[in-house]
Amino acid sequence: MTGSAQDNATEAQVAAAIARCAAGDRTALRVIYDLEAGRMIGVARRMLRRQDLAEEAVQETFMRVWRAARSFDPQKGAARTWLYTVLRNCALSILRDEGRFIADDDRAEEAAPATENALAHLPEASALRRCLERLDAERRAVVVLAYVHGLSHGELAGKLGVPLGTVKSWVRRSLISLQECMG
Amino acid sequence: MTPDDKALAGEYALGLLEGEAKAMAERRLAADPGFAREVEQWRARFAEFDDATAPQPAGDELWRRIEADMPRAAVAIGPSAWTRFWNNLAALRVTALGASLAALVLAVGLGFAIKAARQQPVMIAVLLDGNRAGAVVHTFADGRAVLLPLTAINVPEGKALEVWTLPSRERGPVSVGLMNQARTLRLSLKDLPALRTDQLFEITLEPATGSPTGRPTGPVLFKGNAALAL
Repeated sequence: MTGSAQDNATEAQVAAAIARCAAGDRTALRVIYDLEAGRMIGVARRMLRRQDLAEEAVQETFMRVWRAARSFDPQKGAARTWLYTVLRNCALSILRDEGRFIADDDRAEEAAPATENALAHLPEASALRRCLERLDAERRAVVVLAYVHGLSHGELAGKLGVPLGTVKSWVRRSLISLQECMG
Repeated sequence: MTPDDKALAGEYALGLLEGEAKAMAERRLAADPGFAREVEQWRARFAEFDDATAPQPAGDELWRRIEADMPRAAVAIGPSAWTRFWNNLAALRVTALGASLAALVLAVGLGFAIKAARQQPVMIAVLLDGNRAGAVVHTFADGRAVLLPLTAINVPEGKALEVWTLPSRERGPVSVGLMNQARTLRLSLKDLPALRTDQLFEITLEPATGSPTGRPTGPVLFKGNAALAL
Protein backbone atom coordinates (compact mmCIF):
# COMPACT_ATOMS: atom_id res chain seq x y z
CA MET A 1 0.00 0.00 0.00
CA THR A 2 1.81 3.05 -1.21
CA GLY A 3 0.63 6.40 -2.41
CA SER A 4 -0.10 9.83 -1.06
CA ALA A 5 1.34 11.53 2.00
CA GLN A 6 -2.03 10.92 3.66
CA ASP A 7 -1.69 7.16 3.04
CA ASN A 8 1.84 7.19 4.43
CA ALA A 9 0.66 9.03 7.54
CA THR A 10 -2.14 6.49 8.09
CA GLU A 11 0.30 3.62 7.61
CA ALA A 12 2.63 5.12 10.23
CA GLN A 13 -0.28 5.62 12.67
CA VAL A 14 -1.50 2.05 12.24
CA ALA A 15 2.05 0.68 12.64
CA ALA A 16 2.50 2.70 15.85
CA ALA A 17 -0.89 1.55 17.18
CA ILE A 18 -0.05 -2.12 16.54
CA ALA A 19 3.23 -1.64 18.43
CA ARG A 20 1.26 -0.15 21.35
CA CYS A 21 -1.15 -3.11 21.27
CA ALA A 22 1.85 -5.43 21.48
CA ALA A 23 2.91 -3.52 24.59
CA GLY A 24 -0.54 -4.09 26.12
CA ASP A 25 -2.06 -0.64 25.52
CA ARG A 26 -5.75 -1.17 24.81
CA THR A 27 -6.41 2.45 23.83
CA ALA A 28 -4.32 1.77 20.72
CA LEU A 29 -6.99 -0.62 19.49
CA ARG A 30 -9.47 2.27 19.39
CA VAL A 31 -6.97 4.24 17.29
CA ILE A 32 -6.97 1.44 14.72
CA TYR A 33 -10.77 1.31 14.88
CA ASP A 34 -11.09 5.04 14.20
CA LEU A 35 -8.61 4.90 11.33
CA GLU A 36 -9.66 1.69 9.59
CA ALA A 37 -12.93 0.14 10.83
CA GLY A 38 -15.03 1.80 8.11
CA ARG A 39 -12.91 0.45 5.30
CA MET A 40 -12.60 -2.91 7.07
CA ILE A 41 -16.40 -3.23 7.13
CA GLY A 42 -16.46 -2.29 3.43
CA VAL A 43 -13.89 -4.97 2.56
CA ALA A 44 -15.63 -7.61 4.69
CA ARG A 45 -19.03 -6.77 3.14
CA ARG A 46 -17.51 -7.06 -0.33
CA MET A 47 -16.62 -10.68 0.54
CA LEU A 48 -19.44 -11.70 2.89
CA ARG A 49 -22.28 -9.55 1.47
CA ARG A 50 -24.12 -9.44 4.78
CA GLN A 51 -23.68 -6.60 7.26
CA ASP A 52 -23.93 -8.88 10.31
CA LEU A 53 -21.26 -11.26 9.00
CA ALA A 54 -19.05 -8.33 7.95
CA GLU A 55 -19.24 -6.91 11.48
CA GLU A 56 -18.53 -10.34 12.93
CA ALA A 57 -15.38 -10.57 10.79
CA VAL A 58 -14.25 -7.11 11.86
CA GLN A 59 -14.89 -7.88 15.53
CA GLU A 60 -12.91 -11.11 15.23
CA THR A 61 -10.12 -9.23 13.45
CA PHE A 62 -9.74 -6.81 16.37
CA MET A 63 -9.54 -9.76 18.76
CA ARG A 64 -6.80 -11.36 16.69
CA VAL A 65 -4.93 -8.08 16.21
CA TRP A 66 -4.87 -7.59 19.97
CA ARG A 67 -3.74 -11.12 20.56
CA ALA A 68 -1.20 -11.37 17.71
CA ALA A 69 0.15 -7.79 17.70
CA ARG A 70 3.51 -9.05 18.95
CA SER A 71 3.84 -11.26 15.89
CA PHE A 72 3.66 -8.27 13.53
CA ASP A 73 7.13 -7.60 12.13
CA PRO A 74 7.51 -4.21 10.40
CA GLN A 75 10.64 -5.55 8.68
CA LYS A 76 8.52 -8.02 6.75
CA GLY A 77 5.65 -5.89 5.55
CA ALA A 78 3.34 -2.92 5.95
CA ALA A 79 1.09 -2.62 9.00
CA ARG A 80 -2.08 -2.02 6.99
CA THR A 81 -1.32 -5.00 4.75
CA TRP A 82 -0.99 -7.11 7.91
CA LEU A 83 -4.26 -5.74 9.30
CA TYR A 84 -6.15 -6.51 6.08
CA THR A 85 -4.56 -9.96 5.84
CA VAL A 86 -5.95 -10.75 9.29
CA LEU A 87 -9.34 -9.40 8.19
CA ARG A 88 -9.22 -11.39 4.96
CA ASN A 89 -8.46 -14.60 6.88
CA CYS A 90 -11.39 -13.96 9.23
CA ALA A 91 -13.75 -13.31 6.31
CA LEU A 92 -12.53 -16.39 4.42
CA SER A 93 -13.01 -18.53 7.54
CA ILE A 94 -16.64 -17.44 7.67
CA LEU A 95 -17.07 -17.90 3.89
CA ARG A 96 -15.54 -21.38 3.88
CA ASP A 97 -17.35 -22.55 7.00
CA GLU A 98 -19.59 -25.26 5.61
CA GLY A 99 -21.98 -24.89 8.50
CA ARG A 100 -22.95 -21.39 7.38
CA PHE A 101 -25.46 -20.48 4.77
CA ILE A 102 -24.49 -17.20 3.18
CA ALA A 103 -27.66 -16.35 1.35
CA ASP A 104 -27.46 -13.67 -1.25
CA ASP A 105 -28.33 -12.96 -4.80
CA ASP A 106 -25.13 -11.09 -5.52
CA ARG A 107 -23.03 -14.24 -5.61
CA ALA A 108 -25.04 -15.22 -8.69
CA GLU A 109 -23.84 -12.02 -10.37
CA GLU A 110 -22.25 -12.67 -13.77
CA ALA A 111 -18.48 -13.02 -13.74
CA ALA A 112 -17.70 -10.43 -16.42
CA PRO A 113 -19.60 -7.42 -14.98
CA ALA A 114 -18.44 -8.27 -11.44
CA THR A 115 -14.82 -8.29 -12.63
CA GLU A 116 -15.09 -5.08 -14.67
CA ASN A 117 -16.84 -3.35 -11.79
CA ALA A 118 -13.99 -4.21 -9.42
CA LEU A 119 -11.36 -3.08 -11.95
CA ALA A 120 -13.20 0.18 -12.58
CA HIS A 121 -12.71 1.14 -8.93
CA LEU A 122 -8.91 0.89 -9.20
CA PRO A 123 -7.05 4.14 -9.95
CA GLU A 124 -6.39 4.86 -13.64
CA ALA A 125 -2.65 4.79 -13.02
CA SER A 126 -2.74 1.46 -11.17
CA ALA A 127 -0.17 -1.07 -12.39
CA LEU A 128 -2.42 -3.86 -11.07
CA ARG A 129 -5.27 -2.58 -13.24
CA ARG A 130 -3.08 -2.17 -16.32
CA CYS A 131 -1.62 -5.67 -15.95
CA LEU A 132 -5.00 -7.31 -15.26
CA GLU A 133 -6.47 -5.61 -18.33
CA ARG A 134 -3.81 -7.29 -20.47
CA LEU A 135 -5.17 -10.73 -19.58
CA ASP A 136 -8.04 -12.49 -21.41
CA ALA A 137 -11.39 -11.74 -19.78
CA GLU A 138 -11.88 -15.14 -18.14
CA ARG A 139 -8.30 -15.35 -16.91
CA ARG A 140 -8.66 -11.89 -15.46
CA ALA A 141 -11.96 -12.87 -13.81
CA VAL A 142 -10.56 -15.83 -11.83
CA VAL A 143 -7.95 -13.68 -10.08
CA VAL A 144 -10.18 -10.67 -9.48
CA LEU A 145 -13.15 -12.68 -8.17
CA ALA A 146 -10.94 -14.81 -5.92
CA TYR A 147 -9.54 -11.70 -4.29
CA VAL A 148 -12.45 -9.28 -4.34
CA HIS A 149 -15.27 -11.68 -3.45
CA GLY A 150 -13.25 -14.50 -1.88
CA LEU A 151 -14.46 -17.14 -4.35
CA SER A 152 -12.88 -20.61 -4.06
CA HIS A 153 -11.61 -22.68 -6.99
CA GLY A 154 -14.91 -24.61 -6.95
CA GLU A 155 -17.03 -21.45 -6.91
CA LEU A 156 -15.01 -19.97 -9.76
CA ALA A 157 -15.51 -23.16 -11.79
CA GLY A 158 -19.26 -22.98 -11.16
CA LYS A 159 -19.51 -19.31 -12.04
CA LEU A 160 -17.49 -19.61 -15.24
CA GLY A 161 -18.94 -22.97 -16.24
CA VAL A 162 -15.57 -24.69 -16.70
CA PRO A 163 -13.93 -27.71 -15.02
CA LEU A 164 -12.00 -27.26 -11.77
CA GLY A 165 -8.70 -28.18 -13.45
CA THR A 166 -9.21 -25.43 -16.01
CA VAL A 167 -9.79 -22.84 -13.29
CA LYS A 168 -6.66 -23.93 -11.42
CA SER A 169 -4.59 -23.71 -14.60
CA TRP A 170 -6.03 -20.27 -15.48
CA VAL A 171 -5.24 -18.96 -12.00
CA ARG A 172 -1.62 -20.11 -12.17
CA ARG A 173 -1.04 -18.76 -15.68
CA SER A 174 -2.70 -15.46 -14.80
CA LEU A 175 -0.52 -15.09 -11.72
CA ILE A 176 2.64 -15.84 -13.73
CA SER A 177 1.64 -13.21 -16.33
CA LEU A 178 0.76 -10.69 -13.62
CA GLN A 179 4.05 -11.30 -11.85
CA GLU A 180 5.99 -10.65 -15.09
CA CYS A 181 3.95 -7.57 -15.90
CA MET A 182 4.19 -5.99 -12.44
CA GLY A 183 7.86 -6.92 -11.95
CA MET B 1 12.06 -18.54 -6.73
CA THR B 2 10.72 -20.11 -9.92
CA PRO B 3 7.68 -18.61 -11.66
CA ASP B 4 5.69 -21.54 -10.23
CA ASP B 5 6.83 -20.68 -6.69
CA LYS B 6 5.74 -17.10 -7.24
CA ALA B 7 2.37 -18.25 -8.58
CA LEU B 8 1.97 -20.52 -5.54
CA ALA B 9 2.65 -17.52 -3.28
CA GLY B 10 -0.04 -15.64 -5.21
CA GLU B 11 -2.56 -18.47 -4.84
CA TYR B 12 -1.89 -18.49 -1.12
CA ALA B 13 -2.35 -14.71 -0.89
CA LEU B 14 -5.64 -15.01 -2.80
CA GLY B 15 -6.90 -17.56 -0.26
CA LEU B 16 -7.33 -20.25 -2.92
CA LEU B 17 -5.27 -22.97 -1.26
CA GLU B 18 -7.15 -25.42 0.93
CA GLY B 19 -6.37 -28.48 3.01
CA GLU B 20 -2.89 -29.94 2.75
CA ALA B 21 -1.81 -27.48 0.02
CA LYS B 22 -2.64 -24.59 2.37
CA ALA B 23 -0.90 -26.24 5.33
CA MET B 24 2.22 -26.81 3.21
CA ALA B 25 2.25 -23.18 2.06
CA GLU B 26 1.91 -22.02 5.67
CA ARG B 27 4.83 -24.17 6.76
CA ARG B 28 6.87 -22.78 3.89
CA LEU B 29 5.82 -19.24 4.77
CA ALA B 30 7.24 -19.76 8.27
CA ALA B 31 10.46 -21.43 7.11
CA ASP B 32 11.39 -19.80 3.78
CA PRO B 33 12.00 -16.01 3.87
CA GLY B 34 12.10 -15.84 0.03
CA PHE B 35 8.65 -17.37 -0.21
CA ALA B 36 7.39 -15.11 2.60
CA ARG B 37 8.60 -12.08 0.62
CA GLU B 38 6.70 -13.26 -2.46
CA VAL B 39 3.50 -13.71 -0.43
CA GLU B 40 3.94 -10.25 1.08
CA GLN B 41 4.48 -8.75 -2.37
CA TRP B 42 1.25 -10.29 -3.67
CA ARG B 43 -0.64 -9.04 -0.62
CA ALA B 44 0.67 -5.53 -1.20
CA ARG B 45 -0.31 -5.70 -4.90
CA PHE B 46 -3.84 -6.94 -4.27
CA ALA B 47 -4.27 -4.47 -1.39
CA GLU B 48 -5.13 -1.91 -4.07
CA PHE B 49 -8.54 -3.55 -4.25
CA ASP B 50 -9.01 -2.98 -0.51
CA ASP B 51 -7.88 0.64 -0.74
CA ALA B 52 -10.36 1.13 -3.59
CA THR B 53 -13.28 -0.25 -1.56
CA ALA B 54 -15.65 2.38 -0.19
CA PRO B 55 -15.71 2.59 3.62
CA GLN B 56 -19.00 1.85 5.40
CA PRO B 57 -20.22 3.58 8.55
CA ALA B 58 -18.52 2.11 11.63
CA GLY B 59 -20.51 3.10 14.67
CA ASP B 60 -19.99 2.92 18.40
CA GLU B 61 -22.18 -0.18 18.65
CA LEU B 62 -19.59 -2.38 16.94
CA TRP B 63 -16.84 -0.81 19.02
CA ARG B 64 -18.78 -1.58 22.22
CA ARG B 65 -19.00 -5.22 21.18
CA ILE B 66 -15.26 -5.34 20.51
CA GLU B 67 -14.57 -3.74 23.88
CA ALA B 68 -16.92 -6.15 25.65
CA ASP B 69 -14.91 -9.01 24.14
CA MET B 70 -11.57 -7.70 25.34
CA PRO B 71 -11.39 -9.46 28.71
CA ARG B 72 -11.14 -12.74 26.86
CA ALA B 73 -9.19 -11.37 23.90
CA ALA B 74 -5.88 -12.41 25.39
CA VAL B 75 -6.67 -16.02 24.68
CA ALA B 76 -9.54 -15.77 22.21
CA ILE B 77 -9.80 -17.21 18.76
CA GLY B 78 -12.46 -17.64 16.17
CA PRO B 79 -14.07 -19.89 13.63
CA SER B 80 -11.75 -21.76 11.31
CA ALA B 81 -11.40 -24.96 9.38
CA TRP B 82 -11.03 -26.49 12.83
CA THR B 83 -14.65 -25.76 13.60
CA ARG B 84 -15.45 -28.59 11.22
CA PHE B 85 -13.58 -30.97 13.51
CA TRP B 86 -14.98 -29.49 16.71
CA ASN B 87 -18.45 -29.58 15.23
CA ASN B 88 -18.14 -33.22 14.37
CA LEU B 89 -20.12 -34.64 17.25
CA ALA B 90 -19.42 -38.23 16.35
CA ALA B 91 -15.68 -37.66 16.58
CA LEU B 92 -16.10 -35.85 19.88
CA ARG B 93 -18.18 -38.66 21.36
CA VAL B 94 -15.67 -41.34 20.41
CA THR B 95 -12.86 -39.24 21.86
CA ALA B 96 -14.89 -38.57 24.99
CA LEU B 97 -15.58 -42.24 25.56
CA GLY B 98 -11.93 -43.22 25.15
CA ALA B 99 -10.72 -40.40 27.32
CA SER B 100 -13.30 -41.07 30.03
CA LEU B 101 -12.15 -44.67 30.35
CA ALA B 102 -8.52 -43.62 30.42
CA ALA B 103 -9.35 -40.87 32.89
CA LEU B 104 -10.93 -43.42 35.22
CA VAL B 105 -7.85 -45.60 35.12
CA LEU B 106 -5.44 -42.74 35.54
CA ALA B 107 -7.47 -40.86 38.09
CA VAL B 108 -7.15 -43.82 40.47
CA GLY B 109 -3.37 -43.78 40.08
CA LEU B 110 -3.18 -40.03 40.33
CA GLY B 111 -5.22 -40.09 43.52
CA PHE B 112 -2.18 -41.17 45.51
CA ALA B 113 0.07 -38.46 44.17
CA ILE B 114 -2.58 -35.86 44.75
CA LYS B 115 -3.28 -36.93 48.32
CA ALA B 116 0.42 -36.67 48.95
CA ALA B 117 0.34 -33.12 47.68
CA ARG B 118 -2.82 -32.39 49.71
CA GLN B 119 -4.46 -30.92 46.65
CA GLN B 120 -7.84 -32.09 45.51
CA PRO B 121 -8.30 -31.79 41.77
CA VAL B 122 -11.82 -31.07 40.63
CA MET B 123 -11.48 -32.25 37.06
CA ILE B 124 -8.97 -34.34 35.17
CA ALA B 125 -8.40 -34.66 31.45
CA VAL B 126 -6.16 -37.37 30.05
CA LEU B 127 -4.74 -36.45 26.66
CA LEU B 128 -4.24 -39.43 24.39
CA ASP B 129 -2.61 -40.30 21.12
CA GLY B 130 -4.67 -43.30 20.12
CA ASN B 131 -4.32 -45.46 23.24
CA ARG B 132 -1.16 -43.85 24.57
CA ALA B 133 -1.58 -41.27 27.33
CA GLY B 134 0.67 -38.29 26.59
CA ALA B 135 -0.29 -35.85 29.32
CA VAL B 136 -2.85 -35.16 32.01
CA VAL B 137 -4.52 -31.87 32.87
CA HIS B 138 -5.82 -31.34 36.37
CA THR B 139 -7.74 -28.42 37.64
CA PHE B 140 -8.19 -27.41 41.27
CA ALA B 141 -10.98 -25.75 43.20
CA ASP B 142 -8.99 -22.53 43.47
CA GLY B 143 -8.99 -22.21 39.67
CA ARG B 144 -5.45 -23.39 39.07
CA ALA B 145 -4.86 -25.85 36.26
CA VAL B 146 -1.70 -27.82 35.54
CA LEU B 147 -0.61 -29.99 32.65
CA LEU B 148 1.70 -32.91 33.51
CA PRO B 149 3.44 -34.78 30.70
CA LEU B 150 3.30 -38.58 31.03
CA THR B 151 5.67 -39.37 28.20
CA ALA B 152 8.57 -37.80 26.33
CA ILE B 153 7.34 -35.69 23.41
CA ASN B 154 9.68 -35.01 20.52
CA VAL B 155 9.64 -31.29 19.68
CA PRO B 156 11.57 -30.38 16.49
CA GLU B 157 13.84 -27.34 16.39
CA GLY B 158 11.87 -24.10 15.99
CA LYS B 159 8.64 -25.71 17.19
CA ALA B 160 6.66 -25.67 20.40
CA LEU B 161 3.81 -27.54 22.05
CA GLU B 162 0.64 -25.48 22.36
CA VAL B 163 -2.20 -26.52 24.66
CA TRP B 164 -5.79 -25.73 23.63
CA THR B 165 -9.21 -26.15 25.11
CA LEU B 166 -12.70 -25.84 23.69
CA PRO B 167 -14.96 -24.00 26.16
CA SER B 168 -17.81 -24.13 23.63
CA ARG B 169 -18.24 -24.89 19.98
CA GLU B 170 -19.48 -21.35 19.33
CA ARG B 171 -16.29 -19.91 20.71
CA GLY B 172 -13.88 -22.40 19.19
CA PRO B 173 -10.48 -23.55 20.47
CA VAL B 174 -8.64 -21.28 22.92
CA SER B 175 -4.90 -21.37 23.59
CA VAL B 176 -4.14 -21.97 27.27
CA GLY B 177 -0.43 -22.68 27.26
CA LEU B 178 2.77 -22.90 25.24
CA MET B 179 6.00 -24.77 25.99
CA ASN B 180 9.12 -25.62 24.00
CA GLN B 181 9.41 -29.08 25.57
CA ALA B 182 7.22 -31.49 27.51
CA ARG B 183 7.22 -30.23 31.09
CA THR B 184 4.81 -29.44 33.91
CA LEU B 185 2.93 -26.36 32.76
CA ARG B 186 0.53 -24.03 34.54
CA LEU B 187 -2.44 -23.41 32.23
CA SER B 188 -4.25 -20.09 32.00
CA LEU B 189 -7.92 -21.02 32.33
CA LYS B 190 -8.79 -18.05 34.54
CA ASP B 191 -10.50 -15.97 31.85
CA LEU B 192 -12.56 -18.91 30.63
CA PRO B 193 -15.97 -20.15 31.73
CA ALA B 194 -15.99 -22.90 34.38
CA LEU B 195 -14.69 -26.18 33.05
CA ARG B 196 -17.41 -28.56 31.83
CA THR B 197 -17.41 -32.35 31.95
CA ASP B 198 -16.21 -33.60 28.56
CA GLN B 199 -14.57 -30.27 27.70
CA LEU B 200 -11.93 -31.00 25.09
CA PHE B 201 -8.20 -30.37 25.60
CA GLU B 202 -5.50 -30.97 23.05
CA ILE B 203 -1.82 -30.40 22.33
CA THR B 204 -0.71 -29.35 18.85
CA LEU B 205 2.72 -28.77 17.33
CA GLU B 206 3.11 -25.08 16.47
CA PRO B 207 5.87 -22.58 15.59
CA ALA B 208 8.15 -21.74 18.55
CA THR B 209 6.26 -18.51 19.29
CA GLY B 210 2.88 -20.22 19.20
CA SER B 211 0.24 -20.47 16.50
CA PRO B 212 0.49 -17.40 14.23
CA THR B 213 -3.27 -17.38 13.69
CA GLY B 214 -4.46 -17.83 17.26
CA ARG B 215 -6.02 -21.17 16.40
CA PRO B 216 -4.45 -24.61 16.03
CA THR B 217 -2.49 -24.91 12.78
CA GLY B 218 -0.21 -27.88 13.39
CA PRO B 219 -0.89 -31.59 13.86
CA VAL B 220 -2.78 -32.72 16.99
CA LEU B 221 -0.40 -34.77 19.14
CA PHE B 222 -2.69 -35.61 22.06
CA LYS B 223 -6.28 -34.92 22.93
CA GLY B 224 -8.80 -35.83 25.60
CA ASN B 225 -11.84 -34.67 27.53
CA ALA B 226 -12.26 -33.46 31.08
CA ALA B 227 -13.85 -35.81 33.62
CA LEU B 228 -14.70 -35.39 37.29
CA ALA B 229 -11.85 -36.59 39.49
CA LEU B 230 -12.56 -39.65 41.62
